[in-house]
Formats: sequence, C-alpha cells, structure tokens
Amino acid sequence: MEVTVALYETLRKHYPERGRVQLEAGARVAELLSRLGIAEDDVGILVVNRKDAQFNQILEDGDLVTVIPPMGGG
Amino acid sequence: MPFGYNGKILHVDLTQGTWRTEEPDEKWYRTYMGGSNFISYYLLKELPAGIEPLSAENILVFACSVVTGAPLSGFNRYMVGAKSPLTGGFAETEAGGYWGPEFKFAGFDALVVHGRAAKPVYLWIKDGAVEIKDAAGLWGLDNWQTLERLEAELEDTRIRVVSIGPAGEHLVRYACLQNDLEHYNGRTGMGAVMGSKNLKAVVVRGTQKLQMADPEKVKEIARWHNERIKTHPPNVGLTKFGTPGLVKGINDGGFLPTRNFKEGVFEGADKLAAPAYHETIFHSSSTCWACAVRCKRRVELKHEKYPLDKRFGGAEYEALAALGSMLAIDNLPAVARGNQICNLQGLDVVSTGAVIAFAMECFENGILTEANTGGRTLRYGDSDAMIWLIEQIANRSGLGDVLAEGVKRASEKIGRGSEKFAFHIKGQELAFHDGRGKTGMAMGFALSPTGADHIETPHDVAFQGEGVSKLYPMGLFDPVDPLKTDEAKMRFFFIGQKAWGINNVLNLCNFTSVPIHAMTFGRLVEAVNAVTGWDVSLYELLQATERSNVMARVFNNREGFTPKDDTLISRWFEEMPGGPLKGKRIDPDTFRDLVALYYDMSGWDREGRPTRGKLVELGLYWLL
Repeated sequence: MEVTVALYETLRKHYPERGRVQLEAGARVAELLSRLGIAEDDVGILVVNRKDAQFNQILEDGDLVTVIPPMGGG
Repeated sequence: MPFGYNGKILHVDLTQGTWRTEEPDEKWYRTYMGGSNFISYYLLKELPAGIEPLSAENILVFACSVVTGAPLSGFNRYMVGAKSPLTGGFAETEAGGYWGPEFKFAGFDALVVHGRAAKPVYLWIKDGAVEIKDAAGLWGLDNWQTLERLEAELEDTRIRVVSIGPAGEHLVRYACLQNDLEHYNGRTGMGAVMGSKNLKAVVVRGTQKLQMADPEKVKEIARWHNERIKTHPPNVGLTKFGTPGLVKGINDGGFLPTRNFKEGVFEGADKLAAPAYHETIFHSSSTCWACAVRCKRRVELKHEKYPLDKRFGGAEYEALAALGSMLAIDNLPAVARGNQICNLQGLDVVSTGAVIAFAMECFENGILTEANTGGRTLRYGDSDAMIWLIEQIANRSGLGDVLAEGVKRASEKIGRGSEKFAFHIKGQELAFHDGRGKTGMAMGFALSPTGADHIETPHDVAFQGEGVSKLYPMGLFDPVDPLKTDEAKMRFFFIGQKAWGINNVLNLCNFTSVPIHAMTFGRLVEAVNAVTGWDVSLYELLQATERSNVMARVFNNREGFTPKDDTLISRWFEEMPGGPLKGKRIDPDTFRDLVALYYDMSGWDREGRPTRGKLVELGLYWLL
C-alpha cells in the first residue's frame, strides 16, 4: 500500500516536504516513522487523515500522515 | 445542593482581622464558572480605579472553578489574581499541584483577601474554619523553611501550603507564590501583593468530598482520558521528558530566545535540553493532583557550586531559556541551581531571567559598569554572575534593588539608553518564544490582558498542515503558517485564544486539555456536566471564556490602557540576524492593522473598548 507523508520543520531533513511511501499492508505508524528514520521522541504532533493519531495505529492505503516535531511551549 | 462547587466564597479582611462567607447563587456560578472570571469579577466590583497595587486597597483573589478537584487529569489548578504591581492592570497566574483541590475540599471555591495585616500573618483554613495566625517566626524564611515550620507548628504533614519567599516580602515586583515547593503561580507579581499584605502563607486542609452529579460518568471519562494520555504523542513526550523536551525543537526552529531576544538559536542548547537533562540532573518525574501526565521534573546533583535538591523543583523549559539561552549560559547544573534559588526565594524565573538578560546587555554595551555592580562584571555566559544577581534581586541588595522593579521601571531609573534593551509588554517581561517564528504567539503577547503572556493561545507550529484538525470544532479548517502575519493568522489567534481561554475559566491544565493534548472538546463538555449536573454546551463555555477576556479588558481600560499598549517589542520588528529564520521580521504597520482587526472581530471599538452591544450579549449589564 501507499501512504502520503507531510513532514514539518526540521523533520523535512528526513524526507521531502510531502511524498509517497510504500508500506506493507497492515503497517503501523511506528513502522512508517522507523522507515523514515524519525525517532518517536522527535514527534510532537501526529495526525492521520486530519485526526489525532497514535504510534501503534494501523495505516491504510491512501492515508495522509502529518508529523510535526515538539516545539510548542511550557 | 450544588455539585462540583461549594457555593461559598471566603472573604478575609486582614486589616480588621475578620472573615465572612458569601454565598452566590447558581446563576452566578454558571455565568462565571471560575478562575479568571472570579478574579476580574471581584477586581471590578471591589477596587476603585487607580489604586496603588502594593497598597492595602488592592485585593488578592485565589480562585478555583466549578470543576476543580474532580478526579480528572489537569482539573487541579487554581488561579491567583489582583491588580498587578508589574503592569498596573489585570493580573492572573495559575499553578497546579495539590493546593487547589485541597482548598475546595476545605469547603470554599475562592478566597478574596482584603486589606493589610499590621504584622506578618498566615491563614489557616481547615474544613470551613478560618484562623488568622501570627507569622512573625516565618517572616524571612524561604519557601522550604516556611513549609517545614508550618508542618511542625500545625502538627500535620498533610497540610497544603501556598507561600511567598523573601522576594515577596521585599516586594520584588515579579515575586511569585509557590505550593509544595514545586508548583508556582509565577507571573504578574502576585508574591509582591501577598507580601504587601503581610501575608506569608495560606495553609489549607480539607477532608470533605467533592460532591459530583454523576461520579460514575466522571470515572469513565477519567479512565478514557488517562488511557489516551498514555498514547497521545504530545502527552507521551511530556511524560517522558517534561517541558525540557521542547528545547531542541524550538532551537532547531530558530526561535529559542537567546541573548535577550537578539538571536533565535543558542549554540549551547543541546547541553540544556533533553536528553542531556536526563543524563545529568534528572532524578524522577512528579505530578499534580490526579494527573496521569507526570510532566514535572525532580532534579538532584551533588555539586560543590551548584548542588540540586530533588525537593526544590526541576527547571522547566521556560527556566532553561530564562537562565540558559537568554544569558548564553550552557552550564545545566548552574541553570538548574539558579532555578532552585528562584523557587526558594519566591521569584518568577521568567521575569528574573529576562531582567538579568537586560542587565547583561546593558553591561556589554557600557550602560551598566563595574561602578554599578560593586566591581563585578556581568557578561553573557557568566553562571556565577547569574546566581549572584538572583540573590541580589531577591534581597533587593545593590543593583538588585533597581532590577527588582522589572525591566520597565529599572530602565527608566538607569536611563542612558537602557530602554532599548528593556523588553516588556504592558510592563511585564516576555516568556521565551520568539514571535518572529510564531506570529500567533506574538499576537497573544500583545493582546493578553496580563501583559506579555505565552499561554494566551496555542502555539502556531502545532497547526501546520493537517494538524489543524484539532480546531475543527471551532470552525478553523485552514492550515496555519507559523510565519505569516495576515488576516488568516489573526483568525487563528482569535479562535485559539477562545479555545485556551476555556482552560483559564475552568482552571484546567493546557498539558491535558484542548486543543493540543489528550482531551477533546466533546468529552470536556461531558466532563463539566458530569461534575456539575448542568447541561452546558461548548457555546456556553466559550461565552464564559469571552466574558473573562472582556471583563479583564474593561478593567485595563479603566486603569488607563490604550491600543498603544497592544504592541510588540522593537526587536521583533527587526530582522532575525541568523539561523533558520534569518531575515524574518514582523512588520509593525501590518501588526497594528491586525490588532485593529482583532478589535473588530471582538466587538470592541477602535480604542479597544468592548462595545455596549458586546457587554449586553455577554449579560454583563453591570458594566454598562
């Protein structure tokens, strides 16, 4: 299957701004991040198809995965 | 019988040495709900215009909400407010920990302190009974010594204490309050107001249960929320690293305030950030009442010069920027030690770091010299100078006496061009987020009624691309570009301010609640109704939120604020000198135009005054 990834800020060094990634059917978000070389510690906001997502979420063909690093405030 | 709240507001008059309770009706509670609304309500009702903030005429309000103390993550906060000695306007500052729920369990929803005691006192509130007790033996003690002495005196280690340190006693204009040694009502100088009242501490002990309309429903929401906290990435990061986990991303983004907001990248940031923090000083994580996030850090280090004690609080992101990047200090033990001294002495670490950065930039530019410092140099990167100045400020010794006034007043006294290095908005120093990289954040700094305030709106960066979905229930469907300064960005700010404003009215933690963290708008409404038995809607919560912003604005207008106070620091109108944001600036004319647009959107006139129509819409007839 194929998903689209949209990475922001410094995560763009791992992959272009927006692009397609081939994954085996049933792959989880964690496997996508691993494939792209993104550590979970470097993920602040994770969204799949415009909804909050989790690392263990199973992806489906055509999903849009958005990842933003932690850079909010405290 | 009310659910979620006690129906009692405690008024203590320190001048007279008396107390009484007020019992507002349900309509009042449902109209104002808590937090910042309770504060602005009493400020507008009780204070004549133009009073001196450190006089006996000021009041000090401790406010919980109708849901504080419900066993849900983040429902533990309380807010403290008054007329600010820093800004001369509306002030509120929140803290988590355990004091807020304990105060509710003692039978009250808010405390309004009037007058000034003739000599140092503390309040002892236990299950509806109130005593004003002698604090002569506590005056001069730091926050840790105060807590230990009170536990011994009252023979109870389960008391919850909010206190001021020597900085509050010395009326440092940015003195803070603390509870349980690791939670702080940091901003707006409420410690100085408490000190001006000769009030050292408010001690509470409550054994009453919070009556909730549907306890089983609350339990179900708590289970759902806490489970989601374990897997929701923003919460996962906070649980693992706390706010020190944010240093890297903010520095990488190019907006980590460095050398008094001159730069946005600190070359030593990695030495302050997670994982270095965890490898060198981290002891354990800690939390607030009923909260599953556990974002608080405890630190410990055996060190000759910079020892760290796990009881005295671990540096948060803001402290790492305040005493680290802002001063070009990359010595983590020194920064964490400086933070613990601020905690014990009762200084807001944000303003303290900003004030020291101001002093260092003045020294680097020859405006302050060794003649002002007793022969000491004040160079960027000097950890010992940082710690020395913290102690000078807390005790109002030497140069510290001038710096204790905050950068606005200090620069007016120092003169000689120091004003151009004194960065504040409405008189309050800025927390550490460079508005050139987060222009929505900049709008919050300019438009917050408390002066520069970084928790007025969620951070722009979280709403890039499809991350925007978190504000869909508020009607925001378009992605947010962190760097743009345009109408769409003002709409983002306008909506974001309302979303986070809910947390200010209900006293919820931004790290558990909407729109970034694990809670959702729908489940939050369910939670409020399960606690109170009401049938509130998101619309009603947003109306209460807008009431809070409007009442604070009315108070500030009354105290003489005008649109010229809704502005930014000069440095953000200049180009960022380097890093990923090199060349980025905010255009002052565009920004001024957007502030006027905000007034239009808010139903305020061009002088920034809420219109008659807006006041009537919100049911604030008494302000017409």
